Amino acid sequence: MTWYHYLAAGAFLLCLISLLSHLIRLVRLGAPNDYSRRRGNVGSAIVFSFLGAMSPAKKESAYLHLPTYTAGLLYHIGTFVSIALFFLLFFNIQPAAWIRWGVIGLLAVSGLSGVGILVKRTTVKKLRLLSSPDDYISNILVTVFQFLTLVLLIQEAFAPFYFLGASLLLLYFPLGKLKHALYFFAARYHLGFFYGWRGIWPARKS
Amino acid sequence: MNGLSAQKLKALQLLTQPKDSQLISHVNSCVHCGLCAESCMYYVATNDERFVPALKVDLLSTIYQRYSTVTGKFLPRLVKARELDDATIQEMVDLFFGSCTLCGRCTLHCSIGVDITYLVRVGRAMLASMGFVPATLQSTVNAALQTGNNMAIPTEDFTSTLSWLEDELRNEVQDPQASIPLNQPDVNVLYTLNPREPRFFPLSISAMAKIFYAAKESWTLSTFMYDVTNYAYFSCNLEEAVKIAERLFNETTNLRAKRCVLAECGHGSRAFRWEAPNYLQKLFSFDTLTSVELLAEYIREGRIKVDKDKNQETVTLHDPCNLVREGGIVDEQRYVLNHTTTTFVEMTPHGLDNLCCGGGGGQLSMSEYGDRRMKIGELKAEQIRKTGAATVVTPCHNCVDQLIQINNRFKLGVNIKTLAEIVADALVLDQPAVTPSPTQKA
Ligand code: SF4
Ligand code: SF4
Repeated sequence: MTWYHYLAAGAFLLCLISLLSHLIRLVRLGAPNDYSRRRGNVGSAIVFSFLGAMSPAKKESAYLHLPTYTAGLLYHIGTFVSIALFFLLFFNIQPAAWIRWGVIGLLAVSGLSGVGILVKRTTVKKLRLLSSPDDYISNILVTVFQFLTLVLLIQEAFAPFYFLGASLLLLYFPLGKLKHALYFFAARYHLGFFYGWRGIWPARKS
Repeated sequence: MNGLSAQKLKALQLLTQPKDSQLISHVNSCVHCGLCAESCMYYVATNDERFVPALKVDLLSTIYQRYSTVTGKFLPRLVKARELDDATIQEMVDLFFGSCTLCGRCTLHCSIGVDITYLVRVGRAMLASMGFVPATLQSTVNAALQTGNNMAIPTEDFTSTLSWLEDELRNEVQDPQASIPLNQPDVNVLYTLNPREPRFFPLSISAMAKIFYAAKESWTLSTFMYDVTNYAYFSCNLEEAVKIAERLFNETTNLRAKRCVLAECGHGSRAFRWEAPNYLQKLFSFDTLTSVELLAEYIREGRIKVDKDKNQETVTLHDPCNLVREGGIVDEQRYVLNHTTTTFVEMTPHGLDNLCCGGGGGQLSMSEYGDRRMKIGELKAEQIRKTGAATVVTPCHNCVDQLIQINNRFKLGVNIKTLAEIVADALVLDQPAVTPSPTQKA
């Protein structure tokens, strides 16, 4: 283990502990107790909340904004792949060559999507109004992390920079909006519960 | 939190000491993508960035962060964390009360699943606890608290209106036994009204009375508590909402009615069916259903006969947000219209995606925001115009009121009707019907 491995492991541990504390708080607070008479199927509505309701055909935020939606989707896929690779690369496990080049291609596209989202945030007035420094920092850290992953897959000597970038991201993760990686699931659970209880979801054709 | 007034501390408690995980889940989830903008009529109608729904989320979440998170306390600029100061409060009043109908469209379409409407209500509750409910809205709540109905109709006026409506009913159905029963115990149905009905739209009471007559229903109205509305649901003052809800709960319980049927009122039906059990922390022993469901049930079970040829004009439907998007009553009104009209056309969009009329969220009572309300009403006017319909049906008296104003302002030249009126027009009566005694159980 090198200094940058220790750094990344420490950052990961801090990030994990912080996110776990958020998770424990969520679980301890629990779901709301609804006294009204249930009209629908909560379980299937929660499943719908995570699956059917996420389909681009169901949400204006997707079908009215297909380029942004697609960029966001690719960006998130790139993030998940980069996080998965972090664990492999930490233990110096390199993916097979044919997988590697596929991943490099994906990360190039997802990283560019991140850049595109950043450009949109800085140029569209309503997004500037909505944005805080956290929005820009989060985007930059995640995008850089994806590009660092890409470069490390090509050039192993790049490892110190990669782990430094990953550590920064992990240390920053619990401070701002990146926490939505956890709260997203809680929000969708609650939304599914709310709509399911009242029989609104799973959506029928009206 | 040092230096904050007791009022502000009380308001902050609502935000920083959640009862369950719902609040922290939604307040921590927004990613500032801005993709909810086009789902909100305020933004679409004005193109004003202030009306992007996410800014409402952000307003609440930045206050939350300031007082509840390490980042907000020590690095407030990083997340634009905000003090609950006077400027923030003014902004809250304008965004939470002045530019939101609580229609729920943004929530349904949010890319993450943030319950924006719920957060707006938390913001309103904070304002209510600090005494910042707009005076116009508060006066409607006060009228309900002081007189038992939000239009402060004296009981004598109410009973005399019902008395002449009963005479009219007898004439219309040619049955001297036909009645509008009052304060009858042990009935199947305790029916409620929106106070706009006795005050401005008595024909909708006649329509429902005629339907009950045709269905041979055992029903009653209460002169002590008939108001289905609960404007404290809009002001989000929990104590006042509890008091109003408790009255209807007590009246239904005292009369031992099996079902409390909620009149055509989107927020009223939501407030009593979905919110009141939680306000009162009670499981209701009686059924609570909307009159829309009851009308569909009567037709489906053959308890009333209808002839769609009696309604031959082109009819379209406005879906009240609280009934549909927030209450799940989507198919029933369509079932009724398909059986009572010959030409029913949908608006685009409709159902869960329908646009609010602009009168929800207490906007109709907050005259200070009337210009905005009519501005967003223009979108509804366009929707209606495109259907080419001669009649707009909506199962909500607040929506009726706003649609009448839209009709006048934008010269649509349409009729606005409730669902009960359409059904009553299509009724085929057995002549003469036998009216059950009011105490007869169905
Ligand atoms: S769509 Fe949802 S996540 Fe995106 S800005 Fe609007 S509220 Fe926030
Ligand atoms: S609830 Fe309706 S009016 Fe309020 S912000 Fe959302 S879309 Fe706009």
